[in-house]
Amino acid sequence: MGFLNPWFLGGLVAVGLPIWLHLLKRHKTDPTPFPSLMFFEHREQSSVQHRRLDYILLFILRTLMLVLLALLFASPFIRKLTPKGAGKKLVVVAVDRSFSMRTKEGTSTRLDDAKAEAMNVLSKLPPGQPAQVVALADTLQAMTQQTSDPGELRGAVMAIKESDERASFGELARYLRTLSESTKTPLDVHLISDLQKSAMPAFTDVRLNQDTDITFHQVGKVQPNWAVETMIAPQHVYDPKRVHISATVTGFSAPAATRTVTLLMNGKTIQSKTVNVPENGRGSVEFAGLDQASYGFNRCEIRIDSADSLPADDQYMFSVERTDPKKVLFLDDGRHPEAQEFFRAALNATPDSAFQLEPLRPDVAANSDLSKYAVVVLNDLGSLQSGLEASLQKYVSNGGSLFEAIGPASAVAFPRVPVLDEPIDGTSYASREGERFFSVSDLDSGHDVMKSVERFDGVKIYLATNVGSTKSTVLARMSNGKPLVLERKVGEGKVLVFTSDFGAANNDLPRHYAWVPFVQKSIAYLGGAGSGEQPANLSVGEYVELRTGSEKGAQAEVQDPDGQRVLSLQDAAQARNFELTREGFYEVRTAGGKRSLIAAHANRKESDLAVIPPETLDLWKATGSSGPANGSGQGTGGEGNTTPWPLSPYILLLLLGVALAESVIADRYLRPQAQPQETKAA
Amino acid sequence: MLQRFLDPSVLAGISGLDLVAKTVVDGFISGLHRSPDFGFSQEFAEYRAYNPGDDLRHVDWNVFARSEKMFLKRYRGETNCQVSVLLDASRSMKYGSRGMEKMEYAKFLAASICYLAHLQRDAAGLIVFDSEVRQFVPPSTRQGQIMRLLHGIDQAQTGAETVLEKPFAHLVDYLRRRGVVVAISDFWEQPETVIKTVGPLRSRGNELILFHVLDPHEIQPKLRGSVLMEDLETGVKMEVSPDYAHHDYKGKMTAHLEDMKSRAAGANIDYFLVDTSRPLDEALRQYLAIRAGRL
Repeated sequence: MGFLNPWFLGGLVAVGLPIWLHLLKRHKTDPTPFPSLMFFEHREQSSVQHRRLDYILLFILRTLMLVLLALLFASPFIRKLTPKGAGKKLVVVAVDRSFSMRTKEGTSTRLDDAKAEAMNVLSKLPPGQPAQVVALADTLQAMTQQTSDPGELRGAVMAIKESDERASFGELARYLRTLSESTKTPLDVHLISDLQKSAMPAFTDVRLNQDTDITFHQVGKVQPNWAVETMIAPQHVYDPKRVHISATVTGFSAPAATRTVTLLMNGKTIQSKTVNVPENGRGSVEFAGLDQASYGFNRCEIRIDSADSLPADDQYMFSVERTDPKKVLFLDDGRHPEAQEFFRAALNATPDSAFQLEPLRPDVAANSDLSKYAVVVLNDLGSLQSGLEASLQKYVSNGGSLFEAIGPASAVAFPRVPVLDEPIDGTSYASREGERFFSVSDLDSGHDVMKSVERFDGVKIYLATNVGSTKSTVLARMSNGKPLVLERKVGEGKVLVFTSDFGAANNDLPRHYAWVPFVQKSIAYLGGAGSGEQPANLSVGEYVELRTGSEKGAQAEVQDPDGQRVLSLQDAAQARNFELTREGFYEVRTAGGKRSLIAAHANRKESDLAVIPPETLDLWKATGSSGPANGSGQGTGGEGNTTPWPLSPYILLLLLGVALAESVIADRYLRPQAQPQETKAA
Repeated sequence: MLQRFLDPSVLAGISGLDLVAKTVVDGFISGLHRSPDFGFSQEFAEYRAYNPGDDLRHVDWNVFARSEKMFLKRYRGETNCQVSVLLDASRSMKYGSRGMEKMEYAKFLAASICYLAHLQRDAAGLIVFDSEVRQFVPPSTRQGQIMRLLHGIDQAQTGAETVLEKPFAHLVDYLRRRGVVVAISDFWEQPETVIKTVGPLRSRGNELILFHVLDPHEIQPKLRGSVLMEDLETGVKMEVSPDYAHHDYKGKMTAHLEDMKSRAAGANIDYFLVDTSRPLDEALRQYLAIRAGRL
């Protein structure tokens, strides 16, 4: 017997109410004086009536009513055992084809053993028994519809192929719940898998419906396994000599061992190192330099000599793109000689910077081609030749990016901020008699530029230009409410304005720790590096973005590891993303025309071959049926199916009967005696 | 204004039975100035100077013609009647639901009748009884009789059960002149028994008035739930349900009162039901009406 809503049994405490009324709350026995009772009829006293049968019956009935009411809300049910096979049922054979099923067991793989076991299960089905074969990985693939044809079922099993996806028993349970609700038929499920612990989601996700009986068929056993678990490498290489690549080798259920780790690039061995992996632990190795990296995309791989039964996880593929750093033009009229050094130091703070600073005087730059620069930086120029201003305007309109520092010299020279086209209204000067300095009080921390600047904590600004913000977006404001950082899109390009200079005379930002992330994030944001770029190393099952909303109609292209185009014409024109279904290198060209080499590798959770404990399997099995769980977590299911039989209708009928009886008894109890008795002698 | 003083609840706040009786009777008489029955058995007593507001009917116009001054003629009642008040002091008279017991109301009524009789120069007497005669003040017109009567009424205490036979037999022994007998009681007896007991008095030529004093809750009990009731006289306890009290009891009580009224009328006895929630003047009016018929 069980309860669908057992918490309603808490209502049984209401039984205390009649107990209090009948037993604890004594009736008042103080008599009320009255001149004469000659017209009243005789009745017995309350103290006597407390012990009368009516009273006891009333008490019992009222208590019973409350108990039945609580039971009714708790929705009790009992399970009725029905002989197995007596009713209609559907057999579901689920075969695990996840990455771990590639593990070798002797001469065959686990998938081969699983398919053999599936054939065995199908051979035991009675003739005419409907069944369905499904292949389990990250997603569930129905290999057949519900059919009674043994040949079709066996053919479906043979057609199951190994995959690089990870297993998800939650996906299987979700499918079984849906199938049970749609077919209204009891399910007899046979899960044939290596029952990896890592495939088990939260227990609530694997809950089965009541009429689902699951039987576990484990293939394979726990074996030691070494794998390249993680790898860290830059996506872009600008200076091959400064590149560092690190990898982690992990032993799952494995003894301590020494493994040789090899770095390969474009099929050639670059470096080899040995690493000591402790028992059930991890070992790290680092490679320095990628001198042989050629310009463009390079197919790299970390490989170990594990000699274990799952060689597929002994390699970890990744791609790197070698390219020249982007040029950043720094225009300075020599007014702040230290500014250039501050800016360069911040830009080159990372070992392999994506940007290269190129300083130039404004008068020289007027005759230069600005289109070859990713970003142009103006540092508090006191004058701007008309030719240069027109070039900058054209450069930004065509998609270029401008980073302006509007210091006191610019405040005097220009009535409006060049290109940004916002008015300049003098300067804000923190005098010694006044505030002494301004701080940053308001900041848009969600913006890419402002994410790592720690709110400019401790930065002191002594002199800043008052720039209007009628067209621009203010990313940071000073404590006096004036904008400190503004941004505006002009044509296809972007303009970022800092309302002080990049020297240390009018603010101490270059001497502050927020300076480096501010410069790097600003240049990366303006130069298009890093932001919005999707990673090149992904796990199987993850998606690659092919287009954004504004690129409708343009063709995208994906070539799988075999060099085959995988997108249909319709998908190439419409698909927003593409799922990586196997390990290897995918050549991708997005609808926007950007090319990339994506390296896909199997999820390393599949490398852990630890098995789900039997008690967990018993609990999982128990969610689908009330029968005693198989101790080993494996077997052929129970002797029959149990179906819940609700008791609520019967309790409701009983409750109505009790309520009726209570009304009758209560009416009789409260009604005076039929025989009148004169109490006063005539 | 004075009518307010006839309200029992107001009278209960006045200390001194004589003051209560005077308040009731004076207020009552003032309210009777338009009554056609007023002025019976009167003889001239004195003149009084006219004051504005006095009834012009009492002006002696002969004197006015002679002296051009207005005087009122005042009269003195003729004493030719003996009034005996029988006051029930049984335990059932102790009941009261409105803050005033029936006994208290009955005392006011008895005192008022005695005071009225005193003003009328009637010889008033008093018998206080329950199962026995507890007090007896013979009817008399002597000086100080009214104070003796009021004192006797004031001293009356509720005692035992009501037994009408003994006091009425005692009264027969003392009534040598025919007159008016006023019995004030709750008459918790069968009507047949009551009439059978008091009937002989009527046969002697007495005018017999029965004031049936009852509390409103005796006529219609108001119960919120089942209660255990105790008979004030016998001590018997009984569980009473509100449903019974609201229906069955009311019917029986109505039948009882009707029976009392019809049997009294059949025996030529004046019967008057006095509700303790109502002012005293109705009872006094009844008394005066009978007193007038007696003369």
